[in-house]
Amino acid sequence: MNGIGPALAAGAGLAGAGAAAGVSLPPRARVVVAGVCTAGVGAGGVVAGAAALRGARWSASFPGLLPLAGVHLAVDALSGLFMAVTGVVAVAVAVYGIGYAGHGGEARWVQAAWPVFAGTLVLVPAAAGVSTFLLLWEAMALTSLLLVVAEHRRRAEVRRAGLWYAVMTHLGLVSLLAAFALFAAGAGGETFAALRAGAAGMSPAARGTVFVLALVAFASKAGMVPLHAWLPRAHPEAPSQVSALMSAAMVNLGVYGIVRVGFGLLGGGPRWWWLLALAMGALSAVYGILQAAMAKDLKRLLAYSTSENLGLVLIGVGAAGLFAAAGGRAPAALALTAALLHVVNHAMFKALLFCGAGSVLKATGERNLDLLGGLRARMPVTAGLFAVAALGAVALPPGNGFVSEWTLLQALIHGLAVPGVTTAVVLPVAVAAVALSAGLAAAVFVKALGVGFFAQPRSEGAAGARESPPTMLAGMGLLAIACAALALVPGALAAGLSRATAAAGPAGGEALDSGVLRLRLAGFPAMFSPLWMAVALAVGVLAVTGLARSAGRRRRRGQVRLWDCGGGAPTPRMAYTATSFAEPLQRVFDDVLAPERDVDVTHAQESAYLVEKVRYQSRVPDRIEHRLYRPVLAALSGAGTSARRLAGGSLRLYLGYGFFGLVVLLVILAGVR
Amino acid sequence: MSLLRKIRRTGRTAEPAPPRPTGQIPPELRELRGSMQVRCVDAGSCNGCEIEIGNAFGPVYDAERYGARLVASPRHADAALVTGPVTRNMATALRRTVEAMSEPRLVVAVGDCAMNCGEFAGGYGVEGAVADVVPVDIEVRGCPPRPEAVVAALRTVTGR
Repeated sequence: MNGIGPALAAGAGLAGAGAAAGVSLPPRARVVVAGVCTAGVGAGGVVAGAAALRGARWSASFPGLLPLAGVHLAVDALSGLFMAVTGVVAVAVAVYGIGYAGHGGEARWVQAAWPVFAGTLVLVPAAAGVSTFLLLWEAMALTSLLLVVAEHRRRAEVRRAGLWYAVMTHLGLVSLLAAFALFAAGAGGETFAALRAGAAGMSPAARGTVFVLALVAFASKAGMVPLHAWLPRAHPEAPSQVSALMSAAMVNLGVYGIVRVGFGLLGGGPRWWWLLALAMGALSAVYGILQAAMAKDLKRLLAYSTSENLGLVLIGVGAAGLFAAAGGRAPAALALTAALLHVVNHAMFKALLFCGAGSVLKATGERNLDLLGGLRARMPVTAGLFAVAALGAVALPPGNGFVSEWTLLQALIHGLAVPGVTTAVVLPVAVAAVALSAGLAAAVFVKALGVGFFAQPRSEGAAGARESPPTMLAGMGLLAIACAALALVPGALAAGLSRATAAAGPAGGEALDSGVLRLRLAGFPAMFSPLWMAVALAVGVLAVTGLARSAGRRRRRGQVRLWDCGGGAPTPRMAYTATSFAEPLQRVFDDVLAPERDVDVTHAQESAYLVEKVRYQSRVPDRIEHRLYRPVLAALSGAGTSARRLAGGSLRLYLGYGFFGLVVLLVILAGVR
Repeated sequence: MSLLRKIRRTGRTAEPAPPRPTGQIPPELRELRGSMQVRCVDAGSCNGCEIEIGNAFGPVYDAERYGARLVASPRHADAALVTGPVTRNMATALRRTVEAMSEPRLVVAVGDCAMNCGEFAGGYGVEGAVADVVPVDIEVRGCPPRPEAVVAALRTVTGR
């Protein structure tokens, strides 16, 4: 016995208890009990995941639980990693959610769905059979859909976002169903063990089809471009603790699926699979962060940044597959380790960022960065915690994102040693994509933190902001501690990560030497010490500020008016906004983003030379969505309208259709025989 | 290429430097050590003095040879070159401009209007001469003053 089974059982039980409490208790008690149960579910995930990461394994079958197939569960280190990440995030956001509710989020069905959603997130990585996996996957999709539309009575956009999410996630499910049906039929079994055993006997075409279908399904869950359209809609409209859990835990399961199916079940594959994944990842990374740079809605910005970070992860996964296909074991293990480490880092800082955005939304009623500002003085703790997370997201030391992006870049650079023209061409491009997205991420989070929290408030809501209640701060504090730990002592995770990559399949193995003080790559001459780097940075900053202070004290100083160019005191309207901050970038990437500008001049009645008013409007639409989705939607709705003509309402006509259809079918069957 | 050719053909147009100013630099201005950053303020001038100041910093008189340089903000400036009678609309702005300059600072009133309102004395929009609004350290006569006079006034401070 290693505690995984009891922990998962306790988690599942608590999810059920929380759902029951959510349905039955009065509003205030309901929020608290459901929140505590969700935290318990998360704690179960942490315990089970930590045990699995230490090398324990667990499996169980319940043949009678699900008709025909039965429920099969198995936990290895790879599942354990995702469980542990989900668990930590769930504990933190559950505590946070207790304070946050009251935004229309305390409704019965929302509070009932909340612990169940956390439970399915913890259990999906434990699934070890096709039916079990699909059941849990769909339960996760449905509960998250319920949570996304929690505030649908307050805003119409929530309903639209919910519709997009429902359609996209179910298109993904269809793709996944097709993939698993093909796979199970080809491998001759339903459990993952049978799939693993039968995968080698399948034809390359069938294996390729299974992989592509699974990739489409999992990539749409992970928010990869061009299947990302639901993500920047659903994440901003969902309640913030839900956005946090979706963005930090649910999208990870897309990566889990790709790794599990691609490496674990199919046992790796030819180059083109992984090139496809890598290209998707690179496209998402660059496109996601560009859209984030243009976004002025804080939560939309974070959602696009999720697309970017998962893109980086997918670059790592694709590179690992590519190296493994070419026989480079060591760089493959390193790339996969970097990808998984980035999943962990991203989960922690993105959950914290979404919680911070939620606190801002609750305190000011605003998500629009152009109308925020001045929150550092009004919500100092929230601002500090948001800054910790933003530091993680910009991929600069001493943030936690830097560690994994450094490892990823090391993997891509050392991967050049793997022979082959493909690697020689693709890897430099991938390195460029990672570097470009890292650079843009710095601009994005300077914008989010600087425009959102500094300067003067630009709206009444921001001016009247108050610090969040202690439960919300506690939840965020927990995530901030996780971020700091990952940034300072990432070596502590090394052993668990190597077990997780080894469990993933042929590409895995040890890639990081475990050491608390420094991070050294196994098999490659590269190392750095995040702890010493952070200490050196802190000492440097303290020394510089101390010197500046002491030098300033000796000079005489006078209090004078702010220099305002003789034009009167500056107003908050003159401050940098998110739009103006992004404007130079928008100009640079004009061809990619294709912004829409609309200038409307109204002339005075007396003369055409006198202008009465000028209306200027500028918008940066999601171009892929515009070009790719609109035509498809228009064609579908056109087809639907014209198909309506077939349904004239006459019963005889319908009977005729049935008869005609039957005759055609019989003729075809006769012809085939 | 044509620019380089033009430079070669034109050659040096600057006037030969007149002899160094003889007077003592005021002790509180010695901290500038021969380098003076100048901000121009048009307090209501007819633009004649501006043209001559422009000439003083142009290639012919080239005041930058002597350590004076035009800057874009009073925050960067040691001296304000004020021209014209101070109009009512510019009085507050002029006061704030001088206040925004760090010490040691000096105010140079350029042209007759700046010294005694000149042609515009008694006008309904005129607040007064520059000295009525801010303390003036140096005055430059003329309507408008010749660029040599502006340069000479600046050299008494830079001492070069």
